[in-house]
Amino acid sequence: MIRFENASVTYPGGVHALKDVTLDIRDGEMLIIVGLSGAGKSTLIRVINGLVPLSGGDVKIDGVSVRHAGSRQLREIRSKIGMIFQTFNLVKRTTVLNNVLMGRLYGAGTLRSLFAWYRPEDIEIAMQALERVDIVEKAYVRASNLSGGQQQRVGIARALAQQPKIILADEPVASLDPPTSHVVMRDLQRINRELGITTIVNLHFLDLAKVYGERIIGMRGGELVYDGTAAQADERVFRDIYGRSLTADDVMSEAATAAATL
Amino acid sequence: MAGAAERPHPPTHAKRNLALLGAALLVGWAAVTVDVDPSEILDLPGGVALLFREMFLDPGPDWSYLPTALEGMIESLQLAWVGTVLGAILSIPLGFVGAKNVSSGGVSNVVRQLLNAIRAFPEVVLAVAIMIPIAGLGPVAGALAIGLHSIGTLGKLTAEVIEGIDPGPVEAARAAGGGSILVQRWGVLPQVLPEIVAFWLYRFEINIRAAAVLGVVGAGGIGFSLQQTISFHRYSLAGTAVIVVVLVTIAVDTVSGWVRRRIIEGAGAKRVDADAIAHPELAEVVTGPVERP
Amino acid sequence: MTAAAGSGQRPARPRQSLIVPAGLLAFLVITWLSLSDQFGIGFDLGAIIEDITNGGRILITESDSAAQRGLLVPNWAFLPRTVDPMLETFKMAVVASVVGCTVALPVAFTVSRVTAPNGVVLFLGRTVLSVVRAIPDLLYALMFVAAVGIGPLAGIVALVFFNIGVVAKLLSETVDGVDPGPIEAARAGGGNRTQTVRWAVLPQVLPNYVAYSLYTFELNIRASTVIGIVGAGGIGNLLFTQYRFFNWSNVSIVVVTLFVFVLLIELISIWLRRRLV
Ligand SMILES: Nc1ncnc2c1ncn2[C@@H]1O[C@H](COP(=O)(O)OP(=O)(O)OP(=O)(O)O)[C@@H](O)[C@H]1O
Ligand SMILES: [Mg+2]
Repeated sequence: MIRFENASVTYPGGVHALKDVTLDIRDGEMLIIVGLSGAGKSTLIRVINGLVPLSGGDVKIDGVSVRHAGSRQLREIRSKIGMIFQTFNLVKRTTVLNNVLMGRLYGAGTLRSLFAWYRPEDIEIAMQALERVDIVEKAYVRASNLSGGQQQRVGIARALAQQPKIILADEPVASLDPPTSHVVMRDLQRINRELGITTIVNLHFLDLAKVYGERIIGMRGGELVYDGTAAQADERVFRDIYGRSLTADDVMSEAATAAATL
Repeated sequence: MAGAAERPHPPTHAKRNLALLGAALLVGWAAVTVDVDPSEILDLPGGVALLFREMFLDPGPDWSYLPTALEGMIESLQLAWVGTVLGAILSIPLGFVGAKNVSSGGVSNVVRQLLNAIRAFPEVVLAVAIMIPIAGLGPVAGALAIGLHSIGTLGKLTAEVIEGIDPGPVEAARAAGGGSILVQRWGVLPQVLPEIVAFWLYRFEINIRAAAVLGVVGAGGIGFSLQQTISFHRYSLAGTAVIVVVLVTIAVDTVSGWVRRRIIEGAGAKRVDADAIAHPELAEVVTGPVERP
Repeated sequence: MTAAAGSGQRPARPRQSLIVPAGLLAFLVITWLSLSDQFGIGFDLGAIIEDITNGGRILITESDSAAQRGLLVPNWAFLPRTVDPMLETFKMAVVASVVGCTVALPVAFTVSRVTAPNGVVLFLGRTVLSVVRAIPDLLYALMFVAAVGIGPLAGIVALVFFNIGVVAKLLSETVDGVDPGPIEAARAGGGNRTQTVRWAVLPQVLPNYVAYSLYTFELNIRASTVIGIVGAGGIGNLLFTQYRFFNWSNVSIVVVTLFVFVLLIELISIWLRRRLV
């Protein structure tokens, strides 16, 4: 259970990116956050694992405060939270397996990871993570040799290798073409359902949000402006979130969406 | 649950491991056969600590030696400066002739090899083997040695900068019938002058380090004081001289680095990226296909 | 100029920047001072040309006695005596490169903005590194010979410090420019600083590190010829002994050996860089 209690973030430049957000996220939920660029979606996601420090309020994960965690405790919290990035954030010059093993850093400890003496069980976990996203045959390929979609699946496998309770995904499909976006989103959905991992996804495209979100949250100017089911989120709701009428840029190609939802 | 695909086998790095083993053997051989006693290594920290204490702490630097040290350092700066100017002036024609797009391939190759050959000799060796026999002991020999060595590096870099000139304007000028290639290249020299001047300044920074020690062989500058005070165990005096060398070198580096950045930013660096300008030695390193992030 | 006629306003003449003329003036003044007899090093072009013509004669002096021949009349019989010192120089360079480049690795991560543990360590590290870089190789050799006595150990330690200065500086600036994405990923997964550096940063800069290390090895070969002059082992020792006795025809043999050796190492190093990187 993730609980935001009047969480606020003010960046050094003075931008109020998060204003007094109060929110509960239940275990096993698939939550999708939508909002204009600059609305504070990335900030909301990053305060959960402490990558962005809070300036007010608190975020508690199963009752443990993120704001007041020391650096050791923060690393422990992070080890249970997988993260997936828009730009994949893989180390391109090393193998896929080494990238996935980055998910085992906390579990393996400093000395083992420093000299790459991973335990067999760490390697097994990494391999299983790769199998779950169907890319295990690339384990020893350099990450730079993969396509964008494949790289994002490696990104997901890296998060899975942490054996996380929560997965955070910051615009995971924004760098991908529509069909690949659906493959990646379905992977996330499957993982959420099969493993019961709480999954929080930032999305830009509204149609994707409606297809994959059980619960949708709308953000505007650092505040929550909508919180409801995907079914309730009609065009009027999105207009409220975006503060303007929707354009073609806000939805992914109709055809691809239709093909994917069949 | 598990996907249909087979898990791949980890690749064997036989060739890489063999190369690593070879390298390890070479290093092991060098370490074992080099003429160093293990007992010497044990004495090292104590010896260094003792010297450090005498030079900088107790009794520490003797400030009455400051005027002498400063005078020597100024001479070092001056001979570094003169050497750099000499090298810079002579490297321009050599850089032109060494550029493939100015002279013919054969000539430029010969010149490049010559420049490489010059670079192979450290300044101190040039001073000992050529300049002191010719010009006698003193700072002039040091300046000449630095100048000669600088021709090697500056000539190479100048040639590379000239080769990198945008061919557009030159082609246009040639189409309009404007003289020989050499003349046209000369015309575009101002275009690359900022980069070349930045290299000169950088070379000056390196040359100061050489100039600070040329005195050890009698080629002028503070090196003479350093050598005399250290070999006669006058460590308080040596401490003063070392402090002068370090502070003056850092000061000149800072000023020169600032000027270099101003020059390059002002000119909006044409070809060589900012990284290589900040570290022209990278231009020497990155001859192979090294990716730079 | 009097008031402009016509309706169009003439633009003000752009102010000429004073930087270029000021720089040129500074250049001329410094050069003149440095060259002058009274304030500078007393650089006299005429005398130098005269020296070169005289010195040229010294260079080619022929004599039956090897000790009196000129620089350009090498004493080939001396060649075998250069082999051992040259080998020692090579060994010193190998050991110093390995030690220096190994130490430089953690140092580089300490003085890069991206990977430094905190601002204080970053500042202190950079200050120390610029002092290390300000001391020339031969001065290190002088000091270490004083501290541990003559011999290769002093030379190796001197080269190690020289290497740390070069590699740590180059590498730390490469680290400054790495892709921050993987670093964020490693931190988000619960990795500590060491782990982040090892898995998110090191793979990105490894090829550069290898290239810089090979480059310093070349520098070491050149430098180790010099440090022998103060008794720190290697071929420099031989060079300086012959020089002290004005035995030019032997000096020239040492210089030739040195030259061939340096070029050979450079060729191998370039080949390796192409293969490895
Ligand atoms: N590191 C930072 N320093 C200062 N301001 C920041 C920083 N990161 C984000 N901001 C500002 O905070 C606000 C919210 O940013 P955030 O990245 O959370 O938005 P977002 O909804 O994720 O937008 P996008 O869709 O563009 O990713 C923006 O105004 C942004 O400019
Ligand atoms: Mg964002």
